[in-house]
Amino acid sequence: MKRRAILSAAVAPATAIVVFGATYGTLARHVIGAGAAMLSSLLIFSGAVQFTVVGLLSAGAGPGALVAGSVTLNFRNLLLGAVLRPRVQGGPARRAGLAWFLVDESAGLALASGTDVTRTLFASGALFYIAWQVGTMLGLLGASVEGVRSAATAVFPVLFIGLAALSSASRSMAARAALAAGLAAGAALLWPGGRGVVAVAAAIAVALPGGET
Amino acid sequence: MSLSLIAAIALLTYASRALALVVMPDPPPRAKAVLDRIPAPLFAALAAISVVADDQLAAPVMLCAVFGALLVTPTRSLLHVLFGGLAGYALGALVFS
Repeated sequence: MKRRAILSAAVAPATAIVVFGATYGTLARHVIGAGAAMLSSLLIFSGAVQFTVVGLLSAGAGPGALVAGSVTLNFRNLLLGAVLRPRVQGGPARRAGLAWFLVDESAGLALASGTDVTRTLFASGALFYIAWQVGTMLGLLGASVEGVRSAATAVFPVLFIGLAALSSASRSMAARAALAAGLAAGAALLWPGGRGVVAVAAAIAVALPGGET
Repeated sequence: MSLSLIAAIALLTYASRALALVVMPDPPPRAKAVLDRIPAPLFAALAAISVVADDQLAAPVMLCAVFGALLVTPTRSLLHVLFGGLAGYALGALVFS
């Protein structure tokens, strides 16, 4: 798939990220204050981690719980990094810079780009980073996104379905993807608190057996 | 929330991104073969957990978006799938709201 098409596809998740950033800004402003909310978006750049941290703080959790929650949610970054590693060009410094922009959506678009992994990871990741900061700022300034939040929520599963379809080069791979989806959905229903690891566990479980890819 | 706590969580998050991409050596062939089979199942699993909210399925309108996207997956085009999801969402919004 050409990089231009990939980057066109990045516009929808970037828009959704602005909406979620605004939701985060609105929520976090009341829990941790505007300065800490903005700083967390600038430094952490992870919606899943930041929403979890704010939720835990609202529930009165201590630093240990916040760190444990972050470690669990970040586990899938390790897997995405391992998948991307052989495909990313450049030395350690370049890779260290690219790692800043590694989120689910940018990793997916980079993998879907085929031969242009490095540039797509950077371009889409930078776009998502800017979208997250703009969204957070809008939320801190009091913007309301209630009217479009439902539509924004739908963007992420749709994007991941598209990325799964693009990555499924054979019927065998499509079957593995369907199996992983079923396993992950079942596990997430049974163990809502384990959403951070069930997707990774399901993907590894169905990828381990050898055979046609 | 203190600056040191934000910094610690930021460091953990960045380390999880950088560890495999920067520090770890290239995987041996057998591990690479497994890693090559990871993307499609991982994205499918991420899609699946996105439609499970708390301990139940997401709202009907979101499920319509998902079905709309799934219908056009045989095209293996990301843009087609996004438009399929959008069409499904619009149809769901018409029916359920």
